[in-house]
Amino acid sequence: MLTLRQECRIAIRIAGIRLRGQIAYPASFWMQIFSSFVIHAAEILALLAMFNRFNDMGEWTLGEVAFLHGISMTAFSIGDTIAVGLDSVPSQIREGEFDRVLIRPLSSWIQTLVSEVSLRHLGQCAQGVVILGFALSWTDIQWTLQKALFMPVIIATGVALFIALFTLVAILSFWTVNSIEVVNAFTYGGSDLAQFPLHIFDRWMRNLFLFVIPGGFTAYYPALYILGKDDPLGMTDTFRFLGPLVTAGFCLVVAWGWNQGIRHYRSTGS
Amino acid sequence: MDGPMIEARNLEKRFTVRRHREGAFGAMRSLVDRGGNEVSAVKDVSFSINRGEMVGYIGPNGAGKSTTIKMLTGILVPSSGEATVAGFTPRESRKQLAQQIGVVFGQRTQLWWDLALADSLELLRHMYRVPEKRFRENLNRARELLVLDDFMHTPVRQLSLGQRMRGDLAAALLHDPKILYLDEPTIGLDIVAKARIREFLAALNRETHVTVLLTTHDLADIEQLCRRIIVIDRGQVVYDGELGALRNRFGGKRHVILDFDQDPGDAISTLAGNNLEIVDHNGPRVRVAFDRETTSTPRVLALASHHGTVRDVSIEEPAIEDVIRQMYEGPDSQHP
Ligand SMILES: Nc1ncnc2c1ncn2[C@@H]1O[C@H](COP(=O)(O)OP(=O)(O)O)[C@@H](O)[C@H]1O
Ligand SMILES: [Mg+2]
Repeated sequence: MLTLRQECRIAIRIAGIRLRGQIAYPASFWMQIFSSFVIHAAEILALLAMFNRFNDMGEWTLGEVAFLHGISMTAFSIGDTIAVGLDSVPSQIREGEFDRVLIRPLSSWIQTLVSEVSLRHLGQCAQGVVILGFALSWTDIQWTLQKALFMPVIIATGVALFIALFTLVAILSFWTVNSIEVVNAFTYGGSDLAQFPLHIFDRWMRNLFLFVIPGGFTAYYPALYILGKDDPLGMTDTFRFLGPLVTAGFCLVVAWGWNQGIRHYRSTGS
Repeated sequence: MDGPMIEARNLEKRFTVRRHREGAFGAMRSLVDRGGNEVSAVKDVSFSINRGEMVGYIGPNGAGKSTTIKMLTGILVPSSGEATVAGFTPRESRKQLAQQIGVVFGQRTQLWWDLALADSLELLRHMYRVPEKRFRENLNRARELLVLDDFMHTPVRQLSLGQRMRGDLAAALLHDPKILYLDEPTIGLDIVAKARIREFLAALNRETHVTVLLTTHDLADIEQLCRRIIVIDRGQVVYDGELGALRNRFGGKRHVILDFDQDPGDAISTLAGNNLEIVDHNGPRVRVAFDRETTSTPRVLALASHHGTVRDVSIEEPAIEDVIRQMYEGPDSQHP
């Protein structure tokens, strides 16, 4: 039986072989990177324009909103890059292609992740980082060592949560072969919402983002901590550091769901 | 390891065939709605296969062959019944079992479409943690016996069916599996490619004693490779035993062609009735069919000698295709 570490090492090897194949065609590779940067640069401009118009989101300055947006965006794009393979799970299930994953001695989830690694998504990752960079120059955060050390934790937690959400969407396709756009709209929409301060939403939306899909714990509350702001919702300060714990719980539930999904897999008749 | 390599005990697999619902609302409904018709792809299948056996698993389309194999690999969880394969329960120890089995689905490659065969094989080496030296040995054997060198660096999507199948076979064997499942490995191949794969399998089984479960529609595959066959129809085992015994039991009629030195004339028709049947009478050549259970070839010759001198005799075994067709249709069948 493989340990998780061995599995990860194998997964990285596999990802390496796949990436090597992509770089073997440098022309098309650079074209993809370039076009992805152009698209994302356009999105950055649009966002900056939007921030400028709505620079007042309940006591939040433009820089602060951009900061929240930046950490969410960075986490989302890294998560999306790692988890692209999950996008093809519904079609693999529908076509019976998932059979192949199940005859291999590696975790089916890890196999799915590495099945489609591609460098194309690097442009998307850069987008979040650029926004974060702008935000940092627009705010004057009182940095401390603790805050600096917490930043990577925030990003890592956000990445984990987004990967868990993408996994959740994939899991549903074990039960329904119908289109899952509606669920997709839910997660993508959710990730967009996580980029805005929680306090601008209605109460039920806030609760949804804290206690069902814990995006509030991975973006909004950690942002309050870094920015040194008071919580307009008046929750305890512990909330600001609960992200990793809550996300770990969420991931456990999703992992259980994945295993249930695998048991439900029905392949296809020939 | 003691005990059988593959054991199926009352395996059953039911599928719920659900109505397809359109659109986003339909997707949500089918998540909650558990209704639908149940069909049994496999009803009740039990068998036991020992190490080193090469067993043909045959039956008409839709009989449940692929579904059985999927349960024995851990792809599908049985609705009821149990399987033990290489000492593991597939549904509980899927990953450990995967290390012990090789799988080839003729209908669907197990390789990666966009990778060159060489890259696919290297990737599998890491997945199965095959030691470098063993990998080289297995790869060289496969390259030689399956003649892979011409297309090692071609992306799998560009391979011909026969090349792809050879690649799949090589891939399935890299990690020295104890068991090889082959689901229609010769489908769509030309005679040369089929022969190459059969020879390879026969040699492999001889040398490594790998246990093989093989489904095919080409009964020549079975005749050349398998002593034992398991026949399944509508999800149930209808025969499990030696290929030869199957002929005796179901195929019944053996043909003997008698060449007399001259036309025995109409008198030959009196032969019929001694559990014999005259199938054809054309000049000096007479074709006789009889049941192996009730008559023997020497007895036919003795009877024939009353009608003239028999110059030459040839015996035709019933074609295995006919035997099996007869078995599906059943003795009392009304089918033409
Ligand atoms: N995933 C599935 N969903 C629904 N029905 C299936 C599925 N897989 C197989 N079947 C049905 O079960 C029966 C047996 O299929 P299969 O095992 O593929 O037969 P064989 O391999 O012997 O041709 C067929 O009627 C087939 O349509
Ligand atoms: Mg089949």
